[in-house]
Amino acid sequence: MDVLLNDEEQLVAASAREFLEGECSTALVRQMEEDPIGHPPELWAKCTEMGWTGMCLNEEYGGQALPLTYLGLVMQEVGRAMAPIPLHSTAVTSLAIQKAGTKAQCQSVLPGVSEGKTILTWAFSEQDPRFLPETVKTTAVADGDHFVITGKKLFVDNFAASNQILVACRTAPASASNAGLSLFLIDSTATGISHARLRTLAKDQQCEVIFEQVRVPKANMLGGLNQGWPIMQDLLDLATVLLCTQILGATRIDAEMAIDHSKFREAFGQPIGAFQSIQHTCADMIISIDGGELLAYEALWKMDNGMPAQVEVSQAKAFCNDKCPAVCRNSQSIHGGIGFMMEFDLHLWLRRVTAWSMRLGTSYEHRERIAHALLDMPGHVVLGQPVPVEN
Amino acid sequence: MDFGHTLEQTQLRRDVLDFIRTHMTPEVYAELDATEEAHEAGKGERLSNKRGPLVAALYQKIDDRGWLGYSYPKEYGGADGDRVSQNIIEEEFQRAGLPISLVGSGAPAIMAVGTEQQKQHYLPKLIKMEFSFALGFTEPHAGADLAALRCRAIRDGDHFAINGQKMYTTSAHHATHMYLMARTDPDASRHDGISIFLFPMDTPGLTVRPLWTIQNNPRAPRGTTYGDARTNEVFFENVRIHESCLLGRENQGWRVGSMGLNLDRVGAARYLRSVRRDEDIVNWVKANDFGGYAPKDNPAIRDKIAELWIEAQVCRLMTMRSMSIVERGGNFTYEGSAEKVWSPEHGVRTTEAITQMLGSYGTLLNGSPHAVEKGVFAHNTMGAFQSGINHGSVQIMRDQVAKRGLEMPSMRRAKAAAK
Repeated sequence: MDVLLNDEEQLVAASAREFLEGECSTALVRQMEEDPIGHPPELWAKCTEMGWTGMCLNEEYGGQALPLTYLGLVMQEVGRAMAPIPLHSTAVTSLAIQKAGTKAQCQSVLPGVSEGKTILTWAFSEQDPRFLPETVKTTAVADGDHFVITGKKLFVDNFAASNQILVACRTAPASASNAGLSLFLIDSTATGISHARLRTLAKDQQCEVIFEQVRVPKANMLGGLNQGWPIMQDLLDLATVLLCTQILGATRIDAEMAIDHSKFREAFGQPIGAFQSIQHTCADMIISIDGGELLAYEALWKMDNGMPAQVEVSQAKAFCNDKCPAVCRNSQSIHGGIGFMMEFDLHLWLRRVTAWSMRLGTSYEHRERIAHALLDMPGHVVLGQPVPVEN
Repeated sequence: MDFGHTLEQTQLRRDVLDFIRTHMTPEVYAELDATEEAHEAGKGERLSNKRGPLVAALYQKIDDRGWLGYSYPKEYGGADGDRVSQNIIEEEFQRAGLPISLVGSGAPAIMAVGTEQQKQHYLPKLIKMEFSFALGFTEPHAGADLAALRCRAIRDGDHFAINGQKMYTTSAHHATHMYLMARTDPDASRHDGISIFLFPMDTPGLTVRPLWTIQNNPRAPRGTTYGDARTNEVFFENVRIHESCLLGRENQGWRVGSMGLNLDRVGAARYLRSVRRDEDIVNWVKANDFGGYAPKDNPAIRDKIAELWIEAQVCRLMTMRSMSIVERGGNFTYEGSAEKVWSPEHGVRTTEAITQMLGSYGTLLNGSPHAVEKGVFAHNTMGAFQSGINHGSVQIMRDQVAKRGLEMPSMRRAKAAAK
């Protein structure tokens, strides 16, 4: 047990930070908010050359087979720099394919991901925004050696930039023993797909994607027929915890800006950072961020070690949802009026942290998942020991 | 990053739990309770650290297994083990209601700055729980601002004469020794004229008087984990002690004392104190109802329980972080203080939330008809907040996070600079 970063982990985080500080200015971040695909191809190419898309992919697919905690450290820096790159959706989807795909599927998709040629995303949410299998109404109907997909997906990240999309579809009615979902990997430009960009608080790349009679070869089904939900659940868990690290990276620099500001901004004849009201607020901000990091990295570490981590993921996300936007609001408060100025950068983080706290599961959803594990499963609960989970 | 335990550590936890199941019998608990009651009933009479025959035999068995002072050197009665393992042992005994932790014992400071003779004299007996210190820090006019302390130690050849008063000296009625912070140089700056002394409680001139707290009336069930019914004030009238009683060098006591307190703020005992009720309420709610109304089916309660559980995990993880720092041989910049803000305040939030889950049942004390879990939750509401006050209040801890961790400016310096 040693929960601090080791030398190699420190190096991964430091080099990602150094790279993004050099390559990703806030001017670029602002520019990409207005961009139709939302990322600069040159920056993305450099990120993929450094191996970020292949970090946790196996060596046979051009990856480096590193632990997920390393990817978490990189995502934390991506959040800190607000780097406008489609790394989150690509990494998460590629790792689901590596875990659940056939050899042929992996070989056809993953080397392109490692090389930076293929951008991936996934589509789960529909009109009902909860992360439950019964919310999926999009259908996939067998037709010879194809499936025909019809439905409407919401909040699809990086769709406009993507080459392929992993779509959760209903292939059977939900029953007590089976969620009735199957997953299909579809070319983003396939006939019958249309999309509209959503205007979000973060001004990031999220789309509504409409599937009208989209034909997909059966060979593109990921996992077995009606076996899609457990794969999607794992995907969502990884996506959620990596989003947490991204939120935490963004929140920490936001807090650091407030702390630095308080050391130089003078009022009543002294730096405002000498007032205890400001000091105690800043102390609480840092304690919240530290707590979130410990929760998120424990979840990633458990995934790396093949342990169940659903409860840990939900712990991290519910905590980040509650604490991180509050930290950013405190930072706004310490900055005063300047924080509300469009030309001052602080709002770039505030808007993202606030928006990201609403993605991939609300505090209520994640806490209900924890409550279910704590209260509805048999057995005595001991803090620090695994909580029983359902599969 | 490694959030796991080794196979040996996992096995050690199993062994400790097996031992507890076998040896922590109802008779042992009864004897522990009887001894504590006798201590409290002492009303001014100073009692030694004595214990009943069953408990004495139990400590011997634990020591035979090498579990006392596990991470201390063998030459001082320890087992040369690692701190993580020691924490596992302390955690499980704390859960079982038998304190064996050396946190708050004075042992870490003696280990760090004690003379060879002091180490040999104190450590083996502290580890065997035969010696214990009453911590003489707080005074009537020096609590949070400890450096304002006035208790005087005046040098007289190779002796010191001590005069003054200490307050809230928690275990003074049963400790064997005093761990005293006193002023040795009133002309030096506040922090520079302080020294620490170790000496027996039965030294002539030392008087202990009881102070009765709002807790433990009636007596709380074992494991309530907060506060005692009795604390004390201690008076020193020309208490003469030899200079060999100095811990660390003369006038260097502030450094030694702060170091001891820092080490005191972390560890299994402190974090479990803040999270025990989380475990209790989860396990109670999942197995009980009030005549057909099951709180576990109430969505608001489910949501609150999950929120508290997450916070409790952060307590656990912050303790792991502190241990990782210590295990690497490093010092805290702010991490110990952060833990000492988060965990006690969490304990209060939990305790208060539980009262709103139990309603009127939450008011019932130990021994009352219809008391829930022997009234543990009711007793806790009068005790939880104490943890945010003792050993440095949460406000003082936030100051330390801001000043040491975030390097924020000091008000005094800012004012001086403005002039």
